[in-house]
Amino acid sequence: MSISIENLTKRYGPLTVVHGISFNVAKGEFMSLLGPSGCGKTTTLRCIAGLEDANGGVIRIGDRIVSAPEQDVVVSAHERQIGMVFQSYAIWPHMTVAGNVGFPLAIRKVAAQEVERQVDEALEIVGMRHLRDRHPSQLSGGQQQRVALARAIVGRPRVLLFDEPLSNLDAKLREGTRTEIKRLQRELDVATVYVTHDQEEALSMSDRVIVMDGGRITQAGTPKELYRRPANRFVADFVGRASFIDVTRMNGSGWSTAAGVRLRLDDAGAPPATRYQAMLRPESIDICHGAARGKADESDNILCGHVVESHYLGAYTEYLVEASGAKLKVHSRSDFDVGAEVTLRFAPEFCRLVALGDEDRV
Amino acid sequence: MSVDASTVHGLPVSDTNRRSSSRGVLMGVYWVTFVLVAAMVAIPVIALVYGSFRTSAPGLPGDWTLRNYAGLASSGVLSSMSTTLVIGLFTSVLSIIIGTAIALILHRTDFRYGRIVMPLIGLTFYFPSFILAMAWIIVGAPGGIYNTVVDDMLGMPWLRADIYTAAGIVFVMVLHQVPFVYLTMRGPIIGMDPIYEEAANAAGAKPYEVLLRVTLPLLGYSLISSFILTFVMTIEQFAIPALLGIPGQVTMLATQLYLLVRFSPTDYGLAAAIGVALSLITGAAIWAQRRVTTAGRLTTVTGKAGRIKQIPLGHWRWAANLLCFGFVFLGLIMPMVILLYTSVLKWFTVNPFDGMYTLRNYVFIWESGSTVGSFTNTLIVSGVGAAVGVLLGLLCCYFTLRLRPPGYRALDFLVSLPFGVPGVVLGLGLLWAYAYLPLPLYGTLTLMIIAFVTRFLPYATETIGGQMVQIDKSLEEAAWVNGATRLQGVGKILLPLVSPSLQGAYFLLFMAFFREISSAILIYSVNTSVISISIWSFFEQANWGLASALAVVATLIIFVAMALITRMVSTAGRG
Ligand SMILES: Nc1ncnc2c1ncn2[C@@H]1O[C@H](COP(=O)(O)OP(=O)(O)O)[C@@H](O)[C@H]1O
Ligand SMILES: [Mg+2]
Repeated sequence: MSISIENLTKRYGPLTVVHGISFNVAKGEFMSLLGPSGCGKTTTLRCIAGLEDANGGVIRIGDRIVSAPEQDVVVSAHERQIGMVFQSYAIWPHMTVAGNVGFPLAIRKVAAQEVERQVDEALEIVGMRHLRDRHPSQLSGGQQQRVALARAIVGRPRVLLFDEPLSNLDAKLREGTRTEIKRLQRELDVATVYVTHDQEEALSMSDRVIVMDGGRITQAGTPKELYRRPANRFVADFVGRASFIDVTRMNGSGWSTAAGVRLRLDDAGAPPATRYQAMLRPESIDICHGAARGKADESDNILCGHVVESHYLGAYTEYLVEASGAKLKVHSRSDFDVGAEVTLRFAPEFCRLVALGDEDRV
Repeated sequence: MSVDASTVHGLPVSDTNRRSSSRGVLMGVYWVTFVLVAAMVAIPVIALVYGSFRTSAPGLPGDWTLRNYAGLASSGVLSSMSTTLVIGLFTSVLSIIIGTAIALILHRTDFRYGRIVMPLIGLTFYFPSFILAMAWIIVGAPGGIYNTVVDDMLGMPWLRADIYTAAGIVFVMVLHQVPFVYLTMRGPIIGMDPIYEEAANAAGAKPYEVLLRVTLPLLGYSLISSFILTFVMTIEQFAIPALLGIPGQVTMLATQLYLLVRFSPTDYGLAAAIGVALSLITGAAIWAQRRVTTAGRLTTVTGKAGRIKQIPLGHWRWAANLLCFGFVFLGLIMPMVILLYTSVLKWFTVNPFDGMYTLRNYVFIWESGSTVGSFTNTLIVSGVGAAVGVLLGLLCCYFTLRLRPPGYRALDFLVSLPFGVPGVVLGLGLLWAYAYLPLPLYGTLTLMIIAFVTRFLPYATETIGGQMVQIDKSLEEAAWVNGATRLQGVGKILLPLVSPSLQGAYFLLFMAFFREISSAILIYSVNTSVISISIWSFFEQANWGLASALAVVATLIIFVAMALITRMVSTAGRG
C-alpha cells in the first residue's frame, strides 16, 4: 500500500509548523524525511500516524482517506493499521517482551494461539525469541529497540513509520540496526516513512529522501541526486560536507569566480536565482603541492591557494584551503603543512551550481 | 515472514471515517467530572462569599450588607488577625530551622540512629494535631502534670509554665509542623546533585563551609516553598489554636470564625467575612509558593543522587542526638505515654503511684453505641471517601494532563482551589450552601464525604499527577497506533502504570480523612459524628480519660495503617 500526502498543514495555535507539503510513498518504497531538528519531520510523521490532527490537506493510506480535515474526515490512529517505531521505543514497562509484541494482535481479538505463533515469528525475525518472557527493564537499549521493531511488524502493517529509531543507540549498534531495518523493510515490502536528522542514515537506507526545512520540503530525490545535485545551498550543506565559491555568469556563457577565474561547472537545470555559488564536495577535489604547473587541463578546473587549517582525522586529513577568495574543504591522504602553496583540481561534474536564496547569505 | 490468510490487518475495519465512540465516552465522563468538581469547589466558595454580604444566619430572611466587611476592621478581628500572623510566622521560622536541621542531620551527617529516628518522624507526621494538643494540655495546663511537678513536688514555682498562651500554641504547632518540613526538605536534600558540593570541597571548603555556602543556598527555593506551606498550614490550623487558645483567650482567625458560629451571640455573616479574608491570605501565600516552585524548577538541581561524603558530627554529636531524640520524645513518645496513662486512670492524678487503674474507658468505647457509631462513620467516610477522592483525582489528572479537552485549564484551576481554603472555612461555606440548596445533605455522612473530598482533592491530584507526568506519552500513543482505542489505551497502559500512585493517594486520603477535624467541626450532627469529633467532645466535657482512650485507639489504627502502607510500598518497589 502506498501513502499519499497532499498539502498537509499543521498548526499549533498561531504557529504553523508544516506548510502544506505534498509527497507520495509507493508500495515497498523506503522514504526518509531528513532535516534539522525542529523542521517538522516528527509532526509530519505523527499526522500520518493519526497522533496529531492535521489542520489541512489530505492523507491517504492505500486508497483510503485517513485524514481530510476540510471534509471533516479523521480516522483514529487505532484504525489506520500502521506499524510505528517511536524514538523512545515506547516499550510498555508493565508487560513482558511477548506481551508487548502480542499487543497489536490481542487488541484486535486474534485468537491466543495465533498470537503466540505470530509473536514468536516476529521475535525470531529480530533475534529476540529467547528473551520473550523478559521484562523491558531487564533489556538493553538495543534489545528494547528490537522489541519495538518486532511490535511494529507483527501485525503485518500496511505502512511502517519510524521516528529517529536509532538516535538512542551507540554508533556501533546503529550501523548494524540500519541494515537490519532495511532488510526487514525489503522483506515486508511496505511503504515506509523514516524520520531522521542524520544524513548518513538517510542516504544509506532510503530509496528516496525528502529534505525539509522550516516546515517545507526543500528537495526530494534519490540519495545520489541529493548529494550530487542539491537544489540549493541549504540542501548542499545539510547533506554531506560541502564548500562554496561565489560565482557570477560571465557575459556570453560560462561562470567565473569573484577573482575572475573561469570555472567549468554543472549548471544543468539549476533554478533561477539572484545569486549563485559553486558547490564542491571535499572528496572530489584533488590537491597537490606547489603552484599550478603549466596549462590547465582542458576538462578540469584548477585553483591555486594555500592551506590555512588542517585537521587530522585518521583515514584522511581535512584541509581548509584558501583559494580564489573562498575557503574550501579538501580531503586528502597526503600531508601538507599549514601555509603551504597548493593546487586544487576538480572535474566539472563535481562542481555543481547551487542557487542562493536571499535568506541564506552566509 | 510468511503471509497467511489470517493477517490482522486484513480484518474488516469499520468504515466510519469518523472519530470512534471511545472519545465520545471520554468526553461524556469529562463533562460529568467537570460539573461535579465545579459544584464541589464552587458551591461552598460562592455560598461563603454570599454569606459574607448577608445580615442574617443561613436560611433566614435577611438583607444585603457591607457590615461584615466593616466588622473585619474591628479591634477584635484585627487583634486576632495579628495574633494569627505572628503565631504563623514564629511557628514557620522555628519549624523550618528544626525540620531542616533534622533532615540535614539524618541525610548529610554520620548520625548513627537514622534508622530509628526516620520512621518515628514519619509516625509523628501522622499523629493528629488535636491529639497532640490534648496531650500537651494534660501536661502543660495550669493544673497539669508539669506545673504540679515543679510547683507542688519540687517547690520551684518560678518554673511554672502555661500552655494556654500564644507561646504554648507556637510550641505545640512547631511539634506538629516539623515532620512536614522534614518530609518536604528530605527529597531536595537527598536528590541534590552532589557535584556542586564536591566542587566546593575540591575548591578547599571545609564540610561545614560547604553546607553553609553551597548546600543551603542551593536548597533556597525548597526552603522558601516549605516555609510558605508551613505558614499556610499554621494559619489555617484549627484544632491546636482552638484547644489551647480558647481557654487562654488567645484567638486566631480560624478559632474566631468557629466561636462566631458555635457560640452565642452568633454572627454567621462576620464569620463568612473572616473566612473570605483568611482564604485570601492563604490563597495569596499559595500563589506565591507556586511562583517560587516554578522559578525554582529552573535552578535547583535534582536527579542522580550520588554518594555524598557525610559530614562528621564530631564534638557536636550530642547536640544532634539531643535535637533528634528530643523532638521525637516531645512530639510523639511523651504525648503517647501521657495519653495511655490518662486513659487507664480512674481519676486523673499526676503521681502514677497514687493512681487507681482501670480499663473502663476502653470497655466504654466498646460498649457505647455512640463511640462505636463514630468509629463506623469514620471508617465509612475514610474508606468510601478516599475511593471517591482517588477516582475524582485520577479523572482530573487524566483530563488536565492527557486528554486536555476544551476547558481543561478551568478544571485544573478548580481542583487546586481547595489548597487555599482552610478547613473551617470550607465547613462554613458548606453550612451556608446547604441551607439553601434543595438537597437533603445537611447532617448526612455524604456531606461529610463531600467536605473531605473537596478539601483533600488537591492531595490526590498532586500524588497521581506526579506519577502521570512521568509516564511518557508515547507509551499510550504506541497503544493507539497498534490498534487500541483511547479507552483501551487508558485501561491497558495508563492505569496499570499509575496504579502505585493510586494506592498511595488512597492511603494518603484515608489517613487525612481519619484525622480530619477542621472541616467536620461545623457540619457534623449527632448521627454523623466521626472519631475526631467524639474525642473532641469528650475532651471539651473534661472527660480526659475517655478522650485519651479513644485517642489511643485512633492513633493505633493510624499507625497500623501506616505500617501496612510502608510494607506494601516497599514490596511494590522491589517487585
Ligand atoms: N505540541 C506542540 N505544541 C507547540 N509546538 C510544537 C508542538 N510539537 C512540536 N512543536 C513545534 O513544531 C516544530 C516542529 O517540531 P517537530 O516536528 O517535532 O520537529 P522535528 O521532528 O523535525 O525535530 C518545532 O518548532 C516544535 O517546537
Ligand atoms: Mg523529531
